[in-house]
Amino acid sequence: MDKKFAPHIEELTKALGNISRSTIEDELELLLKYRVPIDEAKRSILKKFQNDSPILKKVHELAIGDKGIALEVRILNINEKNVNLRGNSVTIFSGALADESGLCSFTSWKPISLNPGDAVRVRNASVRAWHNRAEVSIGDRSEVELLEETYLPDISELSVTPVKKLGEVGYSDMFISSVAAVIELYHRDVNVKGKDLTIIEGVMADETSRLPFVSWSLLDGVDIGTIVRFEDASVSMYRGVPSIHLNESTSVHIVGPEEHLPFTFASVNLPPKPLPIGDVLQNEGMFDVSVQGNIVSVRPGSGVIARCPECNRVIMKNTCRSHGVVEGIQDMRIKLILDDGTGSLLVMLNRELSEIVYGKTLQESESLMGKEMSANVVYDDMKNILTGHYLGVRGNTSKVEYGVTFVAKSVWVPSEDLDMRVSALLERLEGVE
Amino acid sequence: MVEREIAHRIFAKELNDSSSTIHSTIEEAINSEGHTPNYLLTPVGTMVNRVFIVGVITEVDNVGTDTDTWKARVVDPSGAFTVYAGQYQPQAAIFLSSVETPAFVSVVGKVRVYKPDAGSPIISLRPEEIHLADEAMRNCWVIDTAELTLDRIDAFSKMLSLCENDPDSFNCTENMEIPSNLSEGICLAIDNYGTGADYLNELRSVVKRCIISIDLASSADGDKDLDVVVMELLEELDEGKGVEYMDLLSVANSRNINEKAVDSAVRSLLAKGQCYEPKIGIIRPIS
Repeated sequence: MDKKFAPHIEELTKALGNISRSTIEDELELLLKYRVPIDEAKRSILKKFQNDSPILKKVHELAIGDKGIALEVRILNINEKNVNLRGNSVTIFSGALADESGLCSFTSWKPISLNPGDAVRVRNASVRAWHNRAEVSIGDRSEVELLEETYLPDISELSVTPVKKLGEVGYSDMFISSVAAVIELYHRDVNVKGKDLTIIEGVMADETSRLPFVSWSLLDGVDIGTIVRFEDASVSMYRGVPSIHLNESTSVHIVGPEEHLPFTFASVNLPPKPLPIGDVLQNEGMFDVSVQGNIVSVRPGSGVIARCPECNRVIMKNTCRSHGVVEGIQDMRIKLILDDGTGSLLVMLNRELSEIVYGKTLQESESLMGKEMSANVVYDDMKNILTGHYLGVRGNTSKVEYGVTFVAKSVWVPSEDLDMRVSALLERLEGVE
Repeated sequence: MVEREIAHRIFAKELNDSSSTIHSTIEEAINSEGHTPNYLLTPVGTMVNRVFIVGVITEVDNVGTDTDTWKARVVDPSGAFTVYAGQYQPQAAIFLSSVETPAFVSVVGKVRVYKPDAGSPIISLRPEEIHLADEAMRNCWVIDTAELTLDRIDAFSKMLSLCENDPDSFNCTENMEIPSNLSEGICLAIDNYGTGADYLNELRSVVKRCIISIDLASSADGDKDLDVVVMELLEELDEGKGVEYMDLLSVANSRNINEKAVDSAVRSLLAKGQCYEPKIGIIRPIS
């Protein structure tokens, strides 16, 4: 092949990792023979092969939206299902798969003959959201290959409910066992399928994290301050934040003071310590965390906004996307970027918090708009007042399509003891001229 | 998903000592959905695209020919950042055209590197946001920046000591608890600048000076009084154009304040942004 294409081939081999140089040369030669311009040819070769170099992932690393990944897992259970897909009756298979890192449900859209206990390598699978959790999707282009029986831990080992700290609970957990202190608890009356029920909602915590929980039975003797040990609680996910569900099959025991635990009710019931934003971004979603940093940007969409009275969506020019022309309800919000030098995070403030941070109420802002005859005046004013300032926020994070969002529950101006930080720094710099 | 670039906290000294840039590779361009930021590599291995700084704005000049372009100097305790704003940063340009120097400002901006044909590169900031700030914010910024800079220096020296016997520095970064982007930057810094323990120590002492310059304890005890006395002296002598340093010394001497004390008080006032040096040898109080 012509020498002048060597750098392009070099570049393609580099980009495609495990595709051989000769395959790439052949592909390129063929396309060039058809007089395809070199840039187009490179593009189509990249597109053709990129999916064939899958990344091997562990179950606990799966993220919604993953494409072209490979897994080495054991099938825990598998069921055949007939579903109606665009008018055609199709047989699909679904079930659960696991490796030593976790457990995950899967759906195969093509027939596969597998049995519970089989160890398989799945290539070119994708991960989609199903009931707010990751599900492996095996499609037409996926390959499933049987592995040797001894390749993975035994099925009995993989299907045991893991004992976890709350901070370790993630997408790959369907059931967990743990021990935690109840730090919030309230009763709620709900109506499930026509039946009135009283359920318990609350928050539990250990030394690693706090998580919301729901109990479908009234837990005798459990109140705020109680430490409970539970087994086989189910985990549900909403926007990357796990919650723990205690139901009939969960066993719950109250832990007495004689047992030695790495935490106490008092030690976990403190307000969360601010975390570096970089650490928060590592997680899909986090419940009740706090961060502080500088407001480096106030995003468009902040200020006085109007909402649809029906669906609460933000509307423009009195027109709602699904309800047409409506009489909007005035509201105020701030979307800001908080940055502490380790990462940057989009923080959402509702009206109440916006009024605190901005220092003007919705009414005052509206009168400001009236004077200036422009809706942008509030946004511009907010930018002037807020940008650069320090802010601390406490709330929940969740991962949505465009990154991690922090929904604040409370805000404050960090008033740290600078003297202490200075002496700590000088200590670190001891001996430096 | 494209992640927003971190606004790095960085002292002017570290930024201005930088000269290498990192442009994205073709591979990255292909995999990044069109988001291909360029970075300035500092000698400590920080890959900077965006910064957040709080300092004192001391000079603003209109340097534009056809359109208005404003050049400003924003000073932190280690040196000065150069800020340019033109027609594409309308809000920043308006701010600079009307700001009264000196004043505390906060700047969020992108790093720009201009390499003239001959000579060293010129590093400047293109502001995305520039707003008035206050002394408390600046002090807090200095402490944040000192902490983050020390973290990076410590990671660097950890890598240096562990990789001492390993000529290929890329091999030894695994199994070390250093975030991958930082260790990558450190390896690049070793390749590009040959950064060694000497530079790290130099930067450590800059960080120390920066912290001492804002020493909050001093404003609570005896040192404060001297700062206040010198400040009052400056205000007394200043007739609008600043005070000659030599005049200040002689007047102070006549009031039984020694040269060394005046010198340290002036430096502390400079660092706190309570006075500035419009020309060498001239001290002007900020009231």
